[in-house]
Amino acid sequence: MASPAFKTPVTDSVAKINHELAVGEDLAFQRKWWRFERALWVLFVMIIALDCMGAFGRGPLAKSQIESADRAIEADYERIERTGTPSMMTVKVNEAAKVDQIELFVSDSAVSGLGLQRVIPAPETTKIGSGGFTYRFPRGSLPAVVRFEFQPVGAGFYHIAVGKPGEALMHMTVAVVP
Amino acid sequence: MDAAIRAVLGYFFLILVVRVVGRRPGKQLTPFEFVLIFFIGGLALTAIVGDERSFTNAICQVVAVALAHYAITWTRSRSPRFARLVDGTPLILLERHEWRTQTLERMHIADADVMFAARDHGLSSLSEIDSAILERNGDISILPRTGNG
Repeated sequence: MASPAFKTPVTDSVAKINHELAVGEDLAFQRKWWRFERALWVLFVMIIALDCMGAFGRGPLAKSQIESADRAIEADYERIERTGTPSMMTVKVNEAAKVDQIELFVSDSAVSGLGLQRVIPAPETTKIGSGGFTYRFPRGSLPAVVRFEFQPVGAGFYHIAVGKPGEALMHMTVAVVP
Repeated sequence: MDAAIRAVLGYFFLILVVRVVGRRPGKQLTPFEFVLIFFIGGLALTAIVGDERSFTNAICQVVAVALAHYAITWTRSRSPRFARLVDGTPLILLERHEWRTQTLERMHIADADVMFAARDHGLSSLSEIDSAILERNGDISILPRTGNG
């Protein structure tokens, strides 16, 4: 025996217009939705404006610069970065650095947080310890520029320290957006 | 886990964007709407997939989106409020030979769009229409004027 089909009587469950036309229009809701849409478009425009300014990285607001107390080293970096997007920190060693060999210390957070990919030029030696890496470069004429290429793996705030080993380091905070 | 959450967030974000971009009348997508849909989908894909190109990731993300879609469909069928939020409400464009000007303006619909739907119903002029309704799927329903209307 076939099982019975489940049935309910048909009622006028859809709202009518002028008691004639079953449309189910809800103009009050639609007017609220239009207001919501307008607010959302304003938000969209603000997001694009902030993006152009670099509030989410890759723009003027994202770029920053820091300098050591003795002005021997300065670094250009991006204080706002994007996950999985390459970026570059440029460390410039000036004439004020009275050294025979250029040594730079970079904290471990540059690797674990910002995903340090490579150092340009390749260092002569790399020492590990003291919570980071000490790179040694053959000295040419100053100023000299060392570039660190990052590719952050995850969103968050990362504190990195760069500078001459054994001296006061430059501390930077980098925000990585998703 | 992270990839599945990204997929679901991307799905909800795309639903919101497509809902806000609005209903356009017509049974078929116009070429520029094709561009919009594929371009938005493609852009979202890069962030959702990221650099995880494994088969496992693809399966997990597809299943996550399927579950999110099922949850939306299930909730929509049980809650008229939610259905209204996701799909919108049908809107009357023309009622008893009078245009609903605010609705036409806000939905970016021209009288030519209504006439396009009317021709589909075998009507040759706007004066032959009694009511025109913009349905939730973007179609325009036409009710012809009756003899005594």
